This record gives sequence, structure tokens and C-alpha cells, in this order.
Amino acid sequence: MNRLMLALLTAAPLIAQDARSIVDEAQKRSRADSQRYEGTLEVIDSKRKISTKRWVYERLGAAGESKAVLRFTAPAEVKGVALLIFNHPDRASDQWMWTPAVQRERRIAFQDRRTRFFGTDFTFEDLEERDVDRSGYKLVGEENYAGALCWKIESTPKAEARSQYSRLYLWIRKDNYVLTQAECYGKDRLVRRIRYSDIEKVQNIWTPRMLEVHDVERDSTTVMKLEKLQYNLPLPAENFTLQSLRREQ
Amino acid sequence: MMLLRLITWPYVRKHLLRCVLTTAGIVLGVAVFVGMHTANQSVLYAFSRTVDRIAGTTQLQVSAGETGFPEDVLDRVQAHPDVRVAVPVIEAAVQTGIQGQGNLLVLGVDMTGDRALRDYDLDNADEAIVDDPLVFIAQPDSIIVSRQFTERTGLKLNDKLTMQTMQGPRRFTIRGVMKGDGLASAFGGNLAIMDIYAAQMVFGRDRSFDRIDLAVREGVKVEDAQRSLQAALGPGLQVDPPSSRGKQFEAVSRIYSLNANVTSLFALFIGLFLIYNTFSIAVTQRRSEIGILRALGASRGQVQRLFLIESGIAGLFGSILGILLGVFLARGLAVYVGSFFGEVYGVVERAQEVSAKPSLLVFALLIGIATSLIAGWIPARSAGQVDPVKALQKGRVQVISEGENRVRRWTALAMLAAAIGCVFLGHSSFFFYTGYMLSVVAVLLLTPALCTWLTNLLRNPLKWLRPVEGALAADSLLQSPRRTSGTVAALALSVALVIGLGGIAKASYETIREWADNALNPDFFITSSESITQRSFRFPPSLGDELRKVEGVDEVQAVRTARIIYKDTPVMLVAADIESISRRVKMHVIEGDAATMYPRVARGEGVVLSDNFALMRKVHAGDVLELLSPTGPVRMPVLGVVTDYSDQQGTILMDRRVFIRNWRDDTINAFRVYLKPGMDREAMRQKLQNEFGGRTRLFVMTNTELKQFIERVTDQWFGLTYVQIIVAVLVSILGIVNTLTVSITDRKRELGVLQAVGGLRNQIRHTIWMEAISIGVLGLAIGFALGAVHLYYILDVAKRDLAGFRLAYRYPVEIAAVLVPVMLGSALFSGIWPAESAVRGSLVEALEYE
Repeated sequence: MNRLMLALLTAAPLIAQDARSIVDEAQKRSRADSQRYEGTLEVIDSKRKISTKRWVYERLGAAGESKAVLRFTAPAEVKGVALLIFNHPDRASDQWMWTPAVQRERRIAFQDRRTRFFGTDFTFEDLEERDVDRSGYKLVGEENYAGALCWKIESTPKAEARSQYSRLYLWIRKDNYVLTQAECYGKDRLVRRIRYSDIEKVQNIWTPRMLEVHDVERDSTTVMKLEKLQYNLPLPAENFTLQSLRREQ
Repeated sequence: MMLLRLITWPYVRKHLLRCVLTTAGIVLGVAVFVGMHTANQSVLYAFSRTVDRIAGTTQLQVSAGETGFPEDVLDRVQAHPDVRVAVPVIEAAVQTGIQGQGNLLVLGVDMTGDRALRDYDLDNADEAIVDDPLVFIAQPDSIIVSRQFTERTGLKLNDKLTMQTMQGPRRFTIRGVMKGDGLASAFGGNLAIMDIYAAQMVFGRDRSFDRIDLAVREGVKVEDAQRSLQAALGPGLQVDPPSSRGKQFEAVSRIYSLNANVTSLFALFIGLFLIYNTFSIAVTQRRSEIGILRALGASRGQVQRLFLIESGIAGLFGSILGILLGVFLARGLAVYVGSFFGEVYGVVERAQEVSAKPSLLVFALLIGIATSLIAGWIPARSAGQVDPVKALQKGRVQVISEGENRVRRWTALAMLAAAIGCVFLGHSSFFFYTGYMLSVVAVLLLTPALCTWLTNLLRNPLKWLRPVEGALAADSLLQSPRRTSGTVAALALSVALVIGLGGIAKASYETIREWADNALNPDFFITSSESITQRSFRFPPSLGDELRKVEGVDEVQAVRTARIIYKDTPVMLVAADIESISRRVKMHVIEGDAATMYPRVARGEGVVLSDNFALMRKVHAGDVLELLSPTGPVRMPVLGVVTDYSDQQGTILMDRRVFIRNWRDDTINAFRVYLKPGMDREAMRQKLQNEFGGRTRLFVMTNTELKQFIERVTDQWFGLTYVQIIVAVLVSILGIVNTLTVSITDRKRELGVLQAVGGLRNQIRHTIWMEAISIGVLGLAIGFALGAVHLYYILDVAKRDLAGFRLAYRYPVEIAAVLVPVMLGSALFSGIWPAESAVRGSLVEALEYE
């Protein structure tokens, strides 16, 4: 989830130094050398039908230049499917997927970053960790959101970012620099709204443990919950390779 | 218009049957033209539509012929700056075992990115499963099918569907149903989508893809992206828009299309003679009317135009009826053509809708009318030249004057001399085809003279059979040379067509059998598909090692066949163990030295070409071929040319190690298996089937079965020839019926007089029957001669411009022998009705005639 928060924080230009500093500070405060959690994902479609998935997530390295492994544990149909992600600060991440039933890993090319992430309401672009300087920022004002005073910042992705969004509005709490809401616009139309809640301090890092993405067009919602969250734990680098992806089934 | 109403209409009403018979020639010609082209176009259109629908928003496709290419090409394509999205694809036509459903086209795609290019338009699917690519990918038995398919089969979501895979029959779960007229309706709705990596596994594709579909970045022109991507990938991979696949299919099936064209043109050509004949007769019969018209002040041009308009109207009606009949015929033909393409070219396609292109119908209408106008032009011209005074002299114009005869004979002889001259200059297409045309026209010009000469020869045998009737029949033919020669010419053309087709069929069968006996000598052919032309499934090389270990197996040769693009044309590449094959097979060597070329090919120093490849592309031993492989261009010297009939587009034979190295593909289409001496073939077949059949898709064909398969494919190919033969025979029967009907009507009074002076009905009957049979004999005699010439030329056409097949000249004596009773029987049959009409009519009316 921190990845998603980070991704949204770093989407914008340098029109107002204040806004950029706020975003930069928010990113710094959420930084950790490693991370591990067990996640639950619920996709609620327009007919209110719910599908649930569970996985274990491990990340090594500072956000923006990290390596991560996401291994699905439930339901039975997807158990064992794993994703290896190499994040780069200046370009789209490299990703590989291991499918145990065919004993094959495949490289996932996110050339069309508007594609939804495996049936959820996130797009692949939403999950990228990118450099703060790839967007421009403007402080729009201050607003109360979920009982806390927030900066409302307009973030405009630069042309080289090749974003699906024309602009984003970010609500960052003034007290702890945590992103609490993001509204994503495509061609001046609200496409996606992301809300962050259950904000707790975990190992000195303020972390939202629940994230809710609403796809306005599809009228579907994805809720992501983080459990057993740990930061800065020792994770061996060899766990983040294609070989380990194949090995650990 | 007034002339048409006053002169033509009463004549048509009076001779309605004859007009119908005349028009029938055009009807048949146009119907064959429209039917064959529509069926052909429908299958090609269905293929293009399948390509379009499968392509979705794909703007370019990367491919390497049929061979596919290694997975790493995808990374290179995806990394190209002009590419927005690129996804890999595997295609295979699979049997489901559901009766009446034919093959299912399975599209293996990568669901993680494919939906950026294709809209699956999911129907009543369980969103939680189908709309979730992760679950779809995680379960390799997942497939999505079209709603049309579920409606036809009664299957529904989560039902199991068994498909034939490389691992034998496997059950797949329907996890989605596509709707709409887009992707879901491709291949007539018989389409299934599955994960590409599961497809690789079940179709034995190892780590390769068939092609990559891609879309370019916004703001980048497709042509620019095509150029830069092609440059980046090198010439071994082709970057083309999806529509080029349809063009390649058209190129592969070019010979079939040409054959269809020849059939329809011949049908029209024979129809032209029918019309010419009938109009010539009509001019003769209506000379008194023409005389009166001319006497009343009608100009020559007016009379000529009247007849031309008549022939135009006949052409118009004939063409319209022909178009209707052709569209009807196309429905049946499309099924035949679809299965034919599957058997011969390995391209499975089903034409769901048979609809003719408006441009084709307009063209058919125009050529029908044009044919009729051309046929009517000479009679119309002679109508315009009728002398009003001579017009009342009955029978005068039926006789061809000696002067006219002489001119014709000399013209014909000059043409024959020119045609012979052209034979020596035949290496040039211009002289070759000019010679062909001149020889046919010369024989046709000589027909009246030949008819007179042959009828004189026939007179005595006829008289010997029936003194009175025989003499009357011969005289009737001699007195009406225009009528007789027109019909005989049409009949001779039909016979010549049959002889030509029969000859080429005979030569093909004999040559192919000879080649098959020589080249296809293993005991078994183990293939991954029932049809050897289907290449969807492939064996892993490890199967070859296992086969070699089977007790009783002496030798196993692995063969990989695939179409590759050579100079923009798909040709067949055959990669095999050349050392072993050259030891077992002694192919007829046309260029090169068998003792040295095979060892060199085995060492990867060059390739051997099939004769047809070398002929069509004018390549010879010593030349260097540049073949495009996924790893780049491969320059291979041509070390020899051999007789090989594996493929109509020609074959390139190379060592399999060269193929593996350059195409990075070690999969196999078929194994040639030789048994140790004394082994029981049937027991060994059972043993192989039992040992391997349970775990892999495998068909063990005996040598005889493979030859039967080739024979069946050849039969299918010549199925078209049989259509041509039927058309030719039908048209000739029409011609005889027409001529005899006219002859009877013309001689109504004469026959009435005969009856009045005591002629028996049977005598009249026999006279007409003998006349009919005599026309048959004349047509056969001239047709056999013309057929001999025609066969010489079409064998050369087949060699130089069609398939490059060097077929031996063998006159089809058996077919000629069959034609004798068929044509004479048809002639006699054609004479029955006119004879009955002659003897059953009113004697008073007959005597009053004219």
C-alpha cells in the first residue's frame, strides 16, 4: 500500500516549491529499507459481488529502487502464483509472474499502463514507484478530510511520465504527512478515487492499513487491508530473483 | 425498338425452346464463373474476416512465416520506442470431437496485456473468475469461447470441453463466454481463447510464439513504426499489418484461383460457340424476313444492330440467370473449397456466409453480355450483308462458298505454320501463348473443311448401316456446313478440354505416384495431426529418441516442415536429417550430383530445391538463396534440384541442424520410421500407438495410408477438374440438342414430304439419330486432335506459370475411350426429342411449313 501511496505522491511539476516539498517530505517519512505484510484484497463489482484474494508481500530496498515479491496464498485457484517486481525511479518497473500450473515464469510488459492490475480497480501505473520530479505540484489550499486538516495539492504528471492521468488531487495530512485521499482525473473527468484509512504508526512510520479504490466508470471498488506489517526486517537479496520465484512454490 | 417488337419478339415466341437452349450456354458459363469465384472469395473473405476480428486493434504483426520465433523477440519488440503495446499470440486449429462442429480455432494469448488489443466483450461470465486475468492464467485449463459456440453446442459456463492436444484429449473449463460481432464471431464463432503459456504446452510449441500483435504509440505513424521496427528486428522477422496474412493465403491458393478462372473462361468460350452457332442458324432461317426488311428500306447497319441487340439481350438474360444459379452453386462449392483448402494448404477456414461481391456480379454480367455480343457479331454482320434477292433462295446461304472455304483453309494453315514457329520461340511467354491461341483458332477455322471431309468419309459406313437413313443423315450435314461446323466446333472444344484436363490429371497422378513410391518409403509416418498439411501441433525432439529405442524400429528420421516467406511468397521449408534421408530415398535429381550434394547439404553447406521451386523462381544449382530466419538472413547455396511434389509453391530441403541453429526451433512435425526387416507392421503400429498414444497426440500412418492421403488430396484437387469436365459435357450436349432442334425445324417440310411419300416414322427417327451420332463422331475426331494440341500446351502452362510441375506428356487414352460412349450416347440422347418431335408433328402443318 505504501507503494501506491508513494506512487501517487510522486506524480507531478515544480511550479510551487512548497507543494513539492510537502510531497517530498511525505515520501521521506514513509521510507523503509524493507517491508513485509500479509494482504487481503476484496474486489466489489458493480453488482456488489465480492471476490477475495490473499497474499504475502515482501519488499527490499528503498522505495523507488526496490525489489518486491508478491505471492498469492488464497483462493486455491491462484495459490502459488507469484510476482517479482523490480522498481526503477525513472521508468516503469520490470515484472515477472510465476505460474505453478504451467511451471513457467512470464515477463509482464506494462506498456499499456492503463491496464487494470489483475481484475482489481488499480491500474499498473497506480502501482509504480516513481521519482518526485516527474510531476509538477501546486498547493490548492487546505481542507479537512476524515477529521484531519490536510493540504490539498494538485499534481500534474509531466509529458515524459506518459501518465494516463491529466491531473491528480492529493490530500496530505498536515500533522503526520500521510496521504489520505487521491482523486485521479483523465481528460478532466474523475476516473478513480483512492481513500486511505486505519492510519497507524508502525515501527515509527505512519501507515494507512486500509486502502479503498473506487473506479468511477465501472462503479466497482477494491479494498486492500494490510496485516502483520513489518518494516526494516532482514530479507535476503536472493529471495528477490527469478530462481527464487521458481523455487519457492 | 420497333424492329425488336415486330421482328424479334415473334421469332422468339415461335422458337422459345431454341432461345432458351442458346441462352443456356451463357447461363452455364456465367454460373460456373460466379459460383467458383464466389465460393473462393467467400472462403478467402472468411479468412480475412477471421484475421481482422482476431486482430482487434492490432496495427502491426511480427511473424516469421509458420516457423514462429523464440520468446526473447517479444522483449525486443516491447522495448522498441514506437511500440505502445505488444502481445504474443499462438494459433491452432483443434478438434473438439463435438459432431458437426468442425475445428475450434484456439488463440493463445497473454491475458496480462492482451486486453489492451482485443475486446473480449465478456457475456454472462462469472466476473469474479473470467474478468480476473490472474485466475485465468493460474488455471491452464481455462478457456473462453464464443456465445455462438455455446448456443450451437449447448455448452455453458463452467462446463468442460474436451480438446485434442499434444498430451492427448484434455478437458478444459469454459470460464468465459464472449459475445458480440467482433472477436467472438471470428472463425464463424468457433473460437476459443486460452493462456499462451498453456497453449505452448498443449500444442507442443516449446518456448516460441507464432507472432506478436502490436499497437504503436500515439502520434507515431503505423508505416513509420513498421519501417523502424523492421529495421530493428532485421529481415528474418516480418513486420506487416494484419491484412497481409489474407494476402499470403491468397498467394498460397493462387493456383486454385487460376484453375477456377480457366474453368469459367472455358465454359464461357464454349457458350460463345453455342451462341455463334444459334445466331448463324437464326440468320439463315430468317433470311426472308431480312430480305423483306432490306427491301422496305432497312439499312445494313439497322439489320446488323438488330441481331447484335438480340444477342445482347440473350447475353443479358443468360447472365442474370447465370448469376442467380452461380450464387446458388456457390453455397455448395464453398463447403468443398473450405475443406479443400484445409486438406491441401493446411489453412482451416469455414465460410459462414456466402455472398458475392457486387463488383464480381457486375463483371460476370458484363462478360456474359460481351461473350454473347462477340458470338453474335459475325452472324449479325452476315445478316446485314444479306442480298434481298438471294434471300428467298432456300438453303443458299447454308453452303459455304468454295472461295470462303479456301480463304479459311489458307488462313488456318498459315496460323498453324505460325503456331509451329512459336513452338521454337516458346521460351518467351508471348510466343508461347500466341502459338497456343493460333493453334486453337486454326483448328476451329479448319472445322468446316474437316467436317465436310469427315462426313464424306462417314457417308459410306452410314449408308452401309442404313442405306436410306444413312445417306439422308450425311446429306443433311453436308448441306448445312455452318450449322454442322458450329456444333462440331463446340463439341470438339469440349472434348479437347476434357482431353487436356484428363491428360493433366493422368500425368499428375502418375508422376505423383512415382514420386510418392520413391520418396515416401518409410514404414510409418508418425504425425501430430490427422492431416499432414496441418502444422498446429508439434512433437518435442525427445520423442524421436524414445521412438528409436522401441524394439523393432530400425531408423527414425525427424522432419520439420513450415511455410516461410521467400521473396514475399510463402514457400515450404523441409528440415530433416539429410544424411539419413539421402541414404534411404533416391529422389530424381534434375540438377546437381547426388553423390556430392547430399553430403554437403547434411554438413549444412547448402540446400536442395524442388523442381517447381527452381522453375517458378528461376533458380538453379550454384545460385545462392537468402532465407529469412528469426536470427537473421541465412545465405545458402543451391546444391541441387530434385523432383518433389510436397508443395505447390515449392520446397527448400535443408538439414535440420541448420534449421535448429537459425530458427532456434527443435520441434518436429513428423517422424519417418523404418522398421527392421521382418517386423509385423500392424503389430508395430499397435505397439507404438499403445506406448505413446496415451500421453501424446500421435497418429501412426502406414506408408499405404499416407499415399492414400496424397491420392485423396489429389482427388480433391482434381475434383475441380471433374466440374470442368461436367460443364464441358453439358455444354456440348446443349449444342447438339440445339443443332438438331434447328435441323428438324429447318427440315420440317422435307421430313413431312418424306413421310407423305411413304417414309416410315422409324426411318425418320433413324435418320435424325444417325445425324446426331455423326455430329458426335465429328466432334470426337476433331476434339481428340485438338485435345492432343491443347494437352501439350496446358502441360507447359502448368510447368511455366502455375505450379512449376514438370509433367510428362501422356495422352489420356482411357479418358478418350470413355468419352466415345459418353459423347455418342449424349449425342444420341440429344437426338431423341428432336426425332420424336419430327415424327409426331402434324403432317399437314409440316407440309405447309414455309
